Amino acid sequence: MPKSKPPEKVRPPADAARFKVGDRVRVKDMPNLFYSRTQMYIRGVVGTIAECTYKDIIPEDEAFNRDGRIEQYYIVRFRQKDLWPEYQFENDTLQTESPERWLEPAD
Amino acid sequence: MSHSHKPGESGADLPHAAPTVEEITDFEVLEIAVRELAIEHGLFTAEDHRRFTEWTESIGPAAGSRLVAKAWTDPAFKARVLDDAVKACKEIGIDWAEPTGFGTPSDYMNLRVLEDTPTLHHVIVCTLCSCYPRPLLGMSPEWYRTTNYRRRLVRWPRQVLAEFGLIIPPEVEVRVEDSNQKCRFMVMPMRPEGTDSWTEEQLAEIVTRDCMIGVALPRPGRTADVHPVHKARHPVQE
Amino acid sequence: MSARRDLLEQQALIGSIQPAVHVPQNWNYEVEAPLFKAYAHPPHDVGGQFDAPILYEEKEEEQWEANVYVTCEVLGWRGVWNSEERRRRADNDLGYALYLGIPYYGRWIMAAARMLVDKNHIALTELIEKIAEVKARNAKK
Repeated sequence: MPKSKPPEKVRPPADAARFKVGDRVRVKDMPNLFYSRTQMYIRGVVGTIAECTYKDIIPEDEAFNRDGRIEQYYIVRFRQKDLWPEYQFENDTLQTESPERWLEPAD
Repeated sequence: MSHSHKPGESGADLPHAAPTVEEITDFEVLEIAVRELAIEHGLFTAEDHRRFTEWTESIGPAAGSRLVAKAWTDPAFKARVLDDAVKACKEIGIDWAEPTGFGTPSDYMNLRVLEDTPTLHHVIVCTLCSCYPRPLLGMSPEWYRTTNYRRRLVRWPRQVLAEFGLIIPPEVEVRVEDSNQKCRFMVMPMRPEGTDSWTEEQLAEIVTRDCMIGVALPRPGRTADVHPVHKARHPVQE
Repeated sequence: MSARRDLLEQQALIGSIQPAVHVPQNWNYEVEAPLFKAYAHPPHDVGGQFDAPILYEEKEEEQWEANVYVTCEVLGWRGVWNSEERRRRADNDLGYALYLGIPYYGRWIMAAARMLVDKNHIALTELIEKIAEVKARNAKK
């Protein structure tokens, strides 16, 4: 009979969250190979932490079913004008989520 | 989207083999093969598949519509929705832990409901795949999954919204939510004028799926999302 | 079984599926850094790429598509893979030609089939024989 639930994994505890709501962060531009969930279009751009969401395994580990590292995730808010050079509307924004390792302090 | 082109199509004078008339497509074949092998190898049971299918058939955007309508008429409920949307869903009969006891494998349990205001309009996308709050809105529409929508919405949101017939005034902030990790998002639009005396049921009728994605706004008389429909060859059997 | 002529036609079609037909870029001896970065870029990351407006259609779901969704989710439910693996394989490991060329749930089922073989749940020969058997079972008499 199949198992009734995916096997529980023993995961190392997550560190305390490094950023708090309102902090300004820059998205790192680490090399790509095989897999990432950090979009190209936000890399190198400075945004603001809008929410500390949850702690979970990082995608680059989970995508290969590793007992991966647990990190704090954040919703980061960007100004559209910072993302796209041609953007015309001053107030428009974009939000997306990122695990901590892809973010660094901007100031 | 069914352009069949055949480069190298020449020599029509050569005789073809007696054609094998395909009753079913290659993807249909592959689907059957994978499902049967998985069951034969005990990876899951036919009963698992049936139970999950039953759950899939039970979901749809009507749940989201009920949630918004209730939030419009009950400020305390709205506060609970904005505070912990997964928990608030239980009050309208949606349990994110279904159908497995720990939720579906792909929807996680981190719902955020994004509240529109007179100065802020939300619209959702998942540029990396098509993450979508299935337990509350059902299956995503095909256009939401296209690379076209995913490519363009994050960079030209106002143009894409205009193609959906939605013009947002320049002074209103458009906020795109790119749902790329494990949070799922749904838009709670503003209650339109002219609906003061309406019941929750009446209100729910104008909160269509597109309104909860953020590509349309609710208004009296607008009770359906109208798009051209691409028909299935072998549609889902009820 | 296809006749030899059909196989030759098929070969021409396969030859037409190139990484990019408008630039000669097969068999490079060296790959400059920007091109390497482009090749190494996960295909699913499309946000901000140029594209022309299209008609945003509804699509009625095919029975097989509904089944694929459930099969992939049940494989997750029973711990055979997790969703991040599915998203990786379905969206990226297939490569651009398949990623852009086949239906949404076509990617899912290709990914599931590949995963079952990769993880040694089934042998590739077993899958191939099953496919042939299912085709035969459903072919018009």
